[in-house]
Amino acid sequence: MGNIKLTIDGISVEAEKEMTVLQAALAAGIYIPHLCHHPSLPDVGQCKLCVVEIADRDGVQTSCTTMAEDGMVIKTKTDRLNHMRTLSMELMLAAHPSECTSCPKYLKCELQTLIQYLGVSDARLRKLSYNFPIETGNPLFVRDMNRCILCGRCVRACRTLRGAEAIDYKKDNEKVYIGTENGGLLADENCKFCCACVEVCPTGALRDKEEVVSGFNKAEEALLPCKASCPAGTDVPRYVRLIKEGKYSEAVAVIRERVPFPLTLGYICMHFCESGCRREAVNEAVSVKELKKFAAMRDNGLWKENSKIAPLTGKKVAVIGSGPAGLTSAYYLVKQGHDVTIYEKLSSPGGMLRVGIPEYRLPRSVIDNEISEITDAGVRIVYNTDIKDLNSLSSLGYDAVLIAIGTHKGVRLPIPGSDLKGVMVNTDFLLKSSLGKKVETGSRVLVLGGGNVAFDCARVAKRLGASEVSMACLESRANMTASAEEVEQGLEEGIVIHNSRTFSKIISENGSLGVECSEVDNFYFDDNRKLVINTVPDSLHVLYADTVIFAAGQIVDLPEEYGVESGRANIIKSENYQTNKAGVFAVGDCITGTTSVVQAIAGGRGAAAAIDKYLGGDGVIDEVLAPCEEPGAFIGKEERFAHRERKQISCKPVEERINNFDEFEQAFDAETAHCEAERCLQCDLRLRIPKVKLWGDYAHK
Amino acid sequence: MRELECDIVVIAAGPAGLAAAISAAEREASVIVLEKSNATGGAGNMGMGPLGIETRYQKEQMIKLTKEEAFKKFMDYTHWRVDARLVREYLYKSGDTIQWLEDMGVEFTGASRYFADSEATWHIVKPESGRPGPRAASRMYKIMTQRAEELGVEILLETPAKKILKEDGRIAGVIAIDKNGEEVKIQCGAVVVATGGFGDNPEMIRQLTGYEWGKDMFSFRIPGITGDGIRMAREVGAGETEYNIEMAYGCPSENGYTTVVGIHMQPNLMVNLLGERFMNEEVLANTTFTSNILAVQKERCGFSIIDDSIKKYYLKSGIDDMNLVNHVKSSENYDVEIKDAVEKGDPYIFAADSIEELAEKTGIDAEALKKTVEEYNSSCKERDFLFNKNYRYMRPLVGPKFYAVKFYPGGYGSLGGIKINYRTEAVTNDFQVIAGLYAAGTDACSIYGDSYVFVLPGNTMGFALNSGRMAGENAVEYLLKLYAED
Repeated sequence: MGNIKLTIDGISVEAEKEMTVLQAALAAGIYIPHLCHHPSLPDVGQCKLCVVEIADRDGVQTSCTTMAEDGMVIKTKTDRLNHMRTLSMELMLAAHPSECTSCPKYLKCELQTLIQYLGVSDARLRKLSYNFPIETGNPLFVRDMNRCILCGRCVRACRTLRGAEAIDYKKDNEKVYIGTENGGLLADENCKFCCACVEVCPTGALRDKEEVVSGFNKAEEALLPCKASCPAGTDVPRYVRLIKEGKYSEAVAVIRERVPFPLTLGYICMHFCESGCRREAVNEAVSVKELKKFAAMRDNGLWKENSKIAPLTGKKVAVIGSGPAGLTSAYYLVKQGHDVTIYEKLSSPGGMLRVGIPEYRLPRSVIDNEISEITDAGVRIVYNTDIKDLNSLSSLGYDAVLIAIGTHKGVRLPIPGSDLKGVMVNTDFLLKSSLGKKVETGSRVLVLGGGNVAFDCARVAKRLGASEVSMACLESRANMTASAEEVEQGLEEGIVIHNSRTFSKIISENGSLGVECSEVDNFYFDDNRKLVINTVPDSLHVLYADTVIFAAGQIVDLPEEYGVESGRANIIKSENYQTNKAGVFAVGDCITGTTSVVQAIAGGRGAAAAIDKYLGGDGVIDEVLAPCEEPGAFIGKEERFAHRERKQISCKPVEERINNFDEFEQAFDAETAHCEAERCLQCDLRLRIPKVKLWGDYAHK
Repeated sequence: MRELECDIVVIAAGPAGLAAAISAAEREASVIVLEKSNATGGAGNMGMGPLGIETRYQKEQMIKLTKEEAFKKFMDYTHWRVDARLVREYLYKSGDTIQWLEDMGVEFTGASRYFADSEATWHIVKPESGRPGPRAASRMYKIMTQRAEELGVEILLETPAKKILKEDGRIAGVIAIDKNGEEVKIQCGAVVVATGGFGDNPEMIRQLTGYEWGKDMFSFRIPGITGDGIRMAREVGAGETEYNIEMAYGCPSENGYTTVVGIHMQPNLMVNLLGERFMNEEVLANTTFTSNILAVQKERCGFSIIDDSIKKYYLKSGIDDMNLVNHVKSSENYDVEIKDAVEKGDPYIFAADSIEELAEKTGIDAEALKKTVEEYNSSCKERDFLFNKNYRYMRPLVGPKFYAVKFYPGGYGSLGGIKINYRTEAVTNDFQVIAGLYAAGTDACSIYGDSYVFVLPGNTMGFALNSGRMAGENAVEYLLKLYAED
């Protein structure tokens, strides 16, 4: 590093040899107004705002294109320079709208801060009026050429940061503007929608669509909605890129930085990331869940190299329940050096993973393997032990207790006949069938409910041999709470769905059960959150079955002796996982109501951090498991990139799947996975472009 | 959670917030300013300058308006339905505030009127390029920002305040979210709320003013001005004022067309959907009055109509009615813009070959419009019997082409929200002072009554700067007493 010395505005400044005068000044905290300069882009000296005077040189120089030299004496603020900057600015503003008030970039606009800094008004020059149409056809951003000042940053970003050259300066009659080669859509120019151009635009000319980025607290969340939507915060674009590069174990290490169940989630995650995916706006979301499953099936355990367990702290923690929330907490607490024992009521671990989710959706070997990593780390699990009250634990010398007992109590609707013989609840039915216990169902099974659990019940009943399986629920087909996949696969398997029904009673007739229903016209929740149902007149009818299963939600099976405060559905009240009793924490479905596995895992992390802090630790459970990499940002263009369709998984035919509990969804093969991973827009690349500092950020303004 | 401590937290770095921060720091208070966006100046960046009375500029320009006269004018205009003490404090301080700003290095071009019949109270900030225009005031906010920083004020950008904390009956701190999304807790003895109202919150506009943004109200929406301050103050007990929009009519076209819109804001024939005239078009110069009258027409809109002959007149002789905000000086871009608008099918700009066709395109009652134009044309030969519009503006519409622009109520943003007394202390609906809570600027601007006091231009920025300054001074006074007691 060849250091040179120069004097800027009387301040002695050290700089590196390869720096321009502008870079040297900015690095030293001396502000020189600039607009076309961007720290990541090659300088072109176009806006002329960064002019300076250099001793012993004639005229003025644009500081962004003048190399700093040893001994240079530079002035950045003189009347002459001010006058020139004002004029340059006025020329730029002549074709820019006078009013900032209609611009969504107001107060986030570099041009506006320069108007403020230079104090320039556009009143002196004749206004040029171009009236470019505001283009909203792009799925991710708005293009308003009326607000463009032709600084060319977007063109340079596209060319030099990405190697794409999707846009360039164009001319239409006398109007110069920036656009695609043939004036067509970016999708047709094989643009890969990385949005680097939007990131570097200093005005309102290129701006993220409000509807795309609204609803988030931080810019990073808005621009990486996949990561922000993941309850556990997994770095989705990073692991998708690693899968594309064939680095499967590295990808799994990235996932494992946030969750100890990568393969389990690959099978059954609710994939909130996909609902957030920005590619959805282009055509279809990236199939993130399937990619995760693909990588996790090929993990060679690289993550273990960097996984550390802290020295023992001597503190003991008891966890009640070995579901995903309890296991996750236990795992991270052991890694923080605590001694952790899980007490499990049943004879095998996993909670709802094992006794809620049917085997055809989640093979038991997957659960076993991932839990064995947790027990290998040092978590002890004591089976067949139902903790009835917490005193028994405190007498064993535990410093903290974590309740993670889920929502294992199914609910019968309060209607006459709900306790007739042959009427069951979802949790009992699924638990028994999962544990291989005998479940008596007749040949006709009717499930009351329309969520994912209801489908689990119906599809399990089918696999247990019921010949006629149907479901009835309050919601219309379009508004069912179950995932679209479940509905589709259930229908394929021959399950009949009666939508928009409300149930008044269950009757027993000639050895058969009947559910008396009415058709629902509409329903809503009133101000007191009470359900109000309007039925279709004269629509009373009976659905007959041998077995009726309630799948109308679950509540917490909470022993009163625990003495913890609870509310609706026995949900335990907590603040940052701490219950009303000192040293007693709670996590998972028992504090949130029935949610998803990934939410339980995210909660498990939170509870581990809270308990670690309570026990005197720092509460920092984050870890770096994946090796560092520098993502290739030079992504270029790709023929028909925007049109590439989402890869679908294939399923075994219905007749091969409905008489057994084997998994029936075919995982991606390597070729399909790579193809799918290549569809990712790599929205994270944009966040690696440094933010431009504004005049207010510099010490010498 | 990061924790900070200071004497006074100012919420938002717009005109009121900066003035409050500077005046408090001048009295040696430690001040933290929380700003949601990444720049200072807030809505003030769109403006041109504040009101001032009895300033050196007015003396130099031989403008004789006194504080007492201005006060009387203000109170007569508002029918004495606003806090007269607060109005007095503001107006009487305004001249000194201009001097205060000049001492910081702000220069003004002089005292201006907004339109011919208004008083010359508007002190427009002098830009580097000499001639003032839109956004001129943004320079002042650069200078104020620098002045605040020199005094040790810490301005935290991209750090929105989320909650005001109250303990033992007095203000104790603020919770904010910093750049990285982390919570910051700032302990302090006083808070000045100055977040600029709710102009960017259509739901609040609908609930509190009855206008539906995008349908019958097209006010400016400065991003981020979403009523945060009002909500936070309300949470700690602050009372309510009347709510309003700072009205100024406009054409909602998204494409700009500054020349066409500017030409149609001249005192041309103006009709409503019923095809009838509803105002003396000379009043168009008063954008608040115009917005008010539009708001009581069918579908809250009106059409300004000209023809080729009037267009030619403007091209040859320039426009009739000049003001500093609508800065269209000539009609030379008129034809290009009209052509473009018609090609794009702009829903607010129309061209037609006959009055009938114009009626069809605009939805104005055709028979009535024909009759109105006939009457108007014949009035042009004698005088305007209906509204007595100045004969100079009475020009007949003869074609061959006719042009119309549709106007709606619009405005600069919201008015009112937090109830304050004349010491800028926030008070409950029951007039109980909330110890340590101050509000300034648009969040607390309820001094206009039903309509912006356009006869004394520069009011909104003037009230923001002066009430901000008062809030800073009063908060320090409060804290000195409080510390002395402790």
